[in-house]
Amino acid sequence: MSEKLVKRHRMIMAWNYEKGEQWMNELSSQGLHFKKGGLISSSFVRDESVRYTYRMDYQTGQSRENGKFQEYLDLYQDAGWEYVSSFGLTWHYFRREWQPGEEPQLYTDRESLIMLYKRLLGVISAMLFVNLFIMILNMVNLNTFFTEGLWTIGVPLMILYLGLFALLGYGCWKIKKKVNNLKLQV
Amino acid sequence: MKEMLPLTEAFYYILIVLYTEPSHGYGIMQDTEKMSNGRVKIGAGTLYTALNTLLNKGLIELYPVPEGTDTRRKMYAITENGRQVVSAEVARLEELLGVGRQALITKKG
Repeated sequence: MSEKLVKRHRMIMAWNYEKGEQWMNELSSQGLHFKKGGLISSSFVRDESVRYTYRMDYQTGQSRENGKFQEYLDLYQDAGWEYVSSFGLTWHYFRREWQPGEEPQLYTDRESLIMLYKRLLGVISAMLFVNLFIMILNMVNLNTFFTEGLWTIGVPLMILYLGLFALLGYGCWKIKKKVNNLKLQV
Repeated sequence: MKEMLPLTEAFYYILIVLYTEPSHGYGIMQDTEKMSNGRVKIGAGTLYTALNTLLNKGLIELYPVPEGTDTRRKMYAITENGRQVVSAEVARLEELLGVGRQALITKKG
């Protein structure tokens, strides 16, 4: 029997991934269970007879070849988490059957949550700097954009870059704030 | 080693569980919950992060999985450095507990 996939659209921001979890859990309570995530659309399977609690995890430095990824999945499975799928090589989705009154978490202390946020911050700020570097290179090499094609290429390109920097910068700021909040909470 | 102190509850329980005998991730989770009478439940992400940190710091090491058991599950054992950290932490906690109890008694009397 093949499962019928239902599409739902929503962009989950790395610095707001908890909102993504909430969204998946809400849909699961309505009988739509997350299967596979994409950049803007995700696939769900309809089944009114179950309800799950979903959690997202972010891991770096795991290669599929050296068995590290399998070990990781085994450990989570032992702890009662069913592996659903991944987005790219770093975001992983897990679920377990929903229990009334329970709110199971993957991260149960401040220190490990701070480490998770720092992994995210590292990658997002690296993206920011790589793009900044590429932009500067473009400025140097393609200064004709600004002399000959200012309004056709130069300005649109600048706007695109500014938007990207604003988004990534906002992400970094959001995560920094989360880390600081956790550090203050004694 | 001093920079590891104070240990988080998760680190502490992992090292205490492994102090008696090598175990795998699942065993560590269960023993921790039992020892703390259900108070401390280490989440999968926290355990995974903690095990990797402890391995990197050399406080625990991989333990060869005994024959006849599930070879899929990795086992961990405490190292000499790990034992030293536990002793130092227990001494630190004893001091804290000592002055705390003293304060409570004085207040009552």
